[in-house]
Amino acid sequence: MNENIYIPKLAKIIKIKEEVSGSRPIKTFRTQFIEKNSFSHQCGQCAMLSVLGKGESMISISSSPLEKDFLQFSILKMGRVTSALHETEVGETIGIRGPYGNNFPIENWKGKNLIFIGGGIGLAPIWSVLHTALKKKEDYGKLTLIYGARTSKDLVFKEELEKLNKKMNVHLSVDVEEKDWKEYVGFVPQNVTDKKPSPDNSISITCGPPIMIKFVIKALEELGFKDGQIYTTVENKMKCGIGKCGRCNIGKHYICKDGPVYSWAELKTLPQEY
Amino acid sequence: MEKILTKKSFPAWVKKLQSYTVYSPEKQENLWSYEVIQNPDKLNLEHLNTVLAPKKITYPQREIFLQFNTSKEGKPQIKEVLPEEHPAVIFGVRPCDAKAITLTDKVFGEEPKDPYYWSRRNQTILVGLTCNPPPSPNCFCLSVGGSPHSKEGLDILMTDMGDKYHIDSLTKKGEKLIKAAENLFKPASSKDKKELEKIQRESEKKIKREVKDIKNIPDKLKDMFESPFWDEEAMSCIRCGICTYLCPTCFCFDITDELTSTLPLKGKRVRTWDTCQFPDFTMHSSGHNPRPDKASRLRQRMLHKFQYHVENYQDYLCTGCGRCISLCPMGIDIIEILNKVREHE
Repeated sequence: MNENIYIPKLAKIIKIKEEVSGSRPIKTFRTQFIEKNSFSHQCGQCAMLSVLGKGESMISISSSPLEKDFLQFSILKMGRVTSALHETEVGETIGIRGPYGNNFPIENWKGKNLIFIGGGIGLAPIWSVLHTALKKKEDYGKLTLIYGARTSKDLVFKEELEKLNKKMNVHLSVDVEEKDWKEYVGFVPQNVTDKKPSPDNSISITCGPPIMIKFVIKALEELGFKDGQIYTTVENKMKCGIGKCGRCNIGKHYICKDGPVYSWAELKTLPQEY
Repeated sequence: MEKILTKKSFPAWVKKLQSYTVYSPEKQENLWSYEVIQNPDKLNLEHLNTVLAPKKITYPQREIFLQFNTSKEGKPQIKEVLPEEHPAVIFGVRPCDAKAITLTDKVFGEEPKDPYYWSRRNQTILVGLTCNPPPSPNCFCLSVGGSPHSKEGLDILMTDMGDKYHIDSLTKKGEKLIKAAENLFKPASSKDKKELEKIQRESEKKIKREVKDIKNIPDKLKDMFESPFWDEEAMSCIRCGICTYLCPTCFCFDITDELTSTLPLKGKRVRTWDTCQFPDFTMHSSGHNPRPDKASRLRQRMLHKFQYHVENYQDYLCTGCGRCISLCPMGIDIIEILNKVREHE
């Protein structure tokens, strides 16, 4: 019998960073497996995290596959498992199984300009591919990040975003006006329209709340992006991670195995039920 | 290998199968159910459709995946719990229910394979029974590629021929069962074979319900995703989930943790059947639900069975047993829905 796919591997939390506080808190967790194993992921893939006694939750891996020492997850406190994760401390043990799903076809994007567009916690699934591109910057054209959240307090990876400014074009936004906010005010799709990224030799990668994704795609289409130049990730409730438990489907696709990464060209052929 | 077994000798055969747990349909307060046989002399293969298909034995409603606890030093530990050795024979399996097991075989057999499912499935022998007469007025196996005497998925097919059974052994597992009591069986004569053919022809004629032009249904459904049709059809649904829990082909499940103690931590992770008919099935923890109403959930059930599964596995996820029709408290009828889909403009 092959390895039992449902048994998580134990991993230690080695670092916790509070990204966002308040009523919608976000924390970033770094983990290391207790025993050596062959876990190796690609950009865009997810892992099933376990808090024993609470259950499992599918979370996108935000660290780059080029980072071999740890796995990183940025998690919004929302349900039973993510709330339990937020109560853990450094040194505690969680379970991890995976990786699951397909990945961003980053090898096909060499030589192209990459435009990353994120909203809120939606920067986490993009973070892995963004950092992989940054580490091999010479392989790609111009790198741009357009990222926004409800308020400046809801932006994740704030310190890194400041440093990122030196390496690529970063355009931030908040939904409503704030004192001392010098960047764009408005929703992410509006900021996309405002910054007018060129579709020439470009790929855009967008992730955020479903409603944001919908309008970002519209904004990109208006700028002349073709369906095959727009990539996004889709989320649904998941349990097994291997296309058997039946709940994360969009049409005949199971997001846990056929997704979560889709080009708009593919996604628009599926029933719009996500 | 075709054999004849007299009905009188049937209990003697079952008694020879002591190394197996033997299941057979048993009538309990007017409802039929697959149960472990206590007394082979009381065996009765004149059952109507059992409430639950034999799926409940190959894929139980609840099973333990793993146990967890914290050690004395406070370290979490996980222990895999695979099903125990449990060779089983199920008698009286209706061909539709055997076909249904072959469908779950494909889902749980696709890489990565499901170890819990296969440790049970590999140890289970299915002895079928030709349906003559049909066990339910809502049988429609002929419409979905089955038949009342289909051999698909079975190790042995038995056919009632009055005072005897025709026994068709179909696999090595089946041969093994017959070898356990070889002297009880006689070879089938050409007269027996002729009679069998007659019974099989008759059994098909007794199936009264039909889905028309089913081959066109998957394509038709593709164009009906946005149709208000689903709102109308789902109107009377009380979202009890019976249609899916009793379905021999439905395989969707949930995985949850059950605690026996919090300090020190002790508990288990279990798999349980789940249903697309419950709102929680797809609701995100944020409250967002891609299938927020009865209409989208009925549509999911129908499209999964007659479009998505056909696209993924080239087979309907329905074997025509009729349980979802007979036992729906609101009279929602999958055949009627499909026949309306056919006529939908």
